[in-house]
Amino acid sequence: MFTRRRFTLGAGAAGVSSLGLPHLALAQAEAIKIGWLAALTGASSAPAIGFNRGVLFAADAINSAGGVKGRKIEIITRDTQGDPTKAVNATQEMISSLKVHAVWGPTNSGESLAVTPIMARAKMPNIHPCVVDGLIDPAKFPNAFRISPSNTQWDDAVRGYCLKILKATKIAVIGDTTGYGVAAANASAAGLKKDGAQVVYQANIEATQPDMMPDMLRARNAGADAIVVWSTSTGMDARLFNTRAAMGWDVPFVGHPSMSSGDVAKLVDKPDNWKKVYAVGYRSCSYDDSGKLPARSQELIDKLKGKVELSDTLLWWVAAGVDAVNLIAQAVEKTGSTSAAGIIDHWNSIKQHPGYFGDYTYSPTEHNGYPADGVVMSDASSARNGTFKLAPGYKA
Amino acid sequence: MFASILASGLAVGAIYALIGVTYNTMFSASRVMSFTAGQLGMLGGVFGSLFALRVGLPLIVALLLTLLVCALVGLVTELVAVRPVLKSLEQHLYVLSTLGLALMVQQSTAILWSTEPQPFPRIFAVGAGGLWDEKFWLPLLACGATIVGLELLYRHTLVGRAFVAIAEDNFVARALGLPERNLRMASYALAGVIGGLAGFSGGALMLAFVANGHLLNFYGFIPVALGGLGNNRGSIVGGFVLGIFQQAATFMVGGIFASVAVFALFIVALLAAPQGLFGAPATRRV
Repeated sequence: MFTRRRFTLGAGAAGVSSLGLPHLALAQAEAIKIGWLAALTGASSAPAIGFNRGVLFAADAINSAGGVKGRKIEIITRDTQGDPTKAVNATQEMISSLKVHAVWGPTNSGESLAVTPIMARAKMPNIHPCVVDGLIDPAKFPNAFRISPSNTQWDDAVRGYCLKILKATKIAVIGDTTGYGVAAANASAAGLKKDGAQVVYQANIEATQPDMMPDMLRARNAGADAIVVWSTSTGMDARLFNTRAAMGWDVPFVGHPSMSSGDVAKLVDKPDNWKKVYAVGYRSCSYDDSGKLPARSQELIDKLKGKVELSDTLLWWVAAGVDAVNLIAQAVEKTGSTSAAGIIDHWNSIKQHPGYFGDYTYSPTEHNGYPADGVVMSDASSARNGTFKLAPGYKA
Repeated sequence: MFASILASGLAVGAIYALIGVTYNTMFSASRVMSFTAGQLGMLGGVFGSLFALRVGLPLIVALLLTLLVCALVGLVTELVAVRPVLKSLEQHLYVLSTLGLALMVQQSTAILWSTEPQPFPRIFAVGAGGLWDEKFWLPLLACGATIVGLELLYRHTLVGRAFVAIAEDNFVARALGLPERNLRMASYALAGVIGGLAGFSGGALMLAFVANGHLLNFYGFIPVALGGLGNNRGSIVGGFVLGIFQQAATFMVGGIFASVAVFALFIVALLAAPQGLFGAPATRRV
């Protein structure tokens, strides 16, 4: 008998079938929206431009292969111009209006310091390449994961190279006068002393100081057998190298990646002034004495050939951009959903995920996922298509 | 060590002195402290590098074009940031207008040029790396040439005497029929040339770097305050004293404390002689 109750149930079922199932299908086909906070213009835009090439390449590769379980990747980019205020506005837009499923970036620590608490409040899955240690804290920011090394990991690599490979015991530590330069130089000096080295000279220099002779003379008179430099200023780096040459001193410089920037090449008086300079680099993006890269990096370069320009950027920026998109896509694939909790839970369970930039391992209590042994020193003047030669003393 | 202090101290001092003269040249014609002086120095380095290295022009052409562009920036300063506020000098609106223009110049340079220091060409390629490197003596040469040029201009030409007249009393000068507005514009163009020369001659030492703008604004102002506002001789002596003291402090106590030492000296000097070491005490007619 066709009762009213049955009609109601039938109508309800019809309603579910007419509204619910297409809705379900719609959700299945909905794009995976990745918010990309990129400082693509303005000061310090070089890293984001490199990351962006990797991001677009990875999204295109996934979409060309049919997407993630049929869902396309949609990259929603906002140019933050390196300005924390713009990064905050873009983050709010991504959370409230655009309703992205995960955020990759920002690409510098100043912006990240401003937006990390906002994303934590919204429980937005966030992965970024910023080095400041305080940005990763699974208790305060359970949604935030780091894809690159932390500043402490850089410092460990520099200290390890000075003490174990160069066998230096008397070290001068020089930073610039920015907040970063002062904090990094202090942490570096403390770490060196803790490991038994003698910090014979420590100074913070204005990046615009025209003459580096005073500090270099003081370092030499103090007996330094290596100089550790923590500065993002390529001008200061080049002046230090030129002054070393003018003094006829062959002390090695070890430190910040800016020392391997292409800008330094234009500022040194002679190419030889850039020798014996070892900057933080990555094993995955370093070639050995025979010019060979690790197999996985070579595979990436082969894939990028003809599609992504590498001559004016760094391979690690491109590789990290590819890995970031892949990590988000993989989380959606494994969990079958784009829920924030699902993505975060999946990342917390990752062990030795083989990315191009490194093998990442995260847990609920550790969101610094980059392997410590992946950070090495590079020969600063050996750039070749975004890769560098391993500094002397490492085994390939 | 002493030779190093002297070489770099005199070179940096010469650049500070020239920026001080730039401040004074603008001040004399308008009674305005224009905070674009340091930016003119920065632009001297940037345009020098642009014309000589990027465009590849001969150095003498690059120098002349650099000075021309800086003179134009000086004129724009007068038109945009000084002339509109001249009627209300006592409200010190020029602080805002010239600082605003200086910031615009700085930001535009950062966007259009680079935020990183860029190389500056070697002009004579003499004494590379040593104490006789041109980066040390070229600013001295430029400073000497400027002193001689200004002396000749102010003492031996009619236009120069007119400059001095409006610097002394622009109301009387105007009453005597001197074209005060044109002379003021010429003064700002001249200031642009002096600032540009400071940056060009100091390019090898300071590089073509956008951050030099605010550095020169600060350190170029100290000789003006030490030497007495509007007093070029005071600025030049003040610039050299500052340069040598700063370099000595850098050698003795390190770079970060050298700035503290410089400003301590500055404050002590102003406490001892508020009108500046070479300035006359201000008098007020009652």
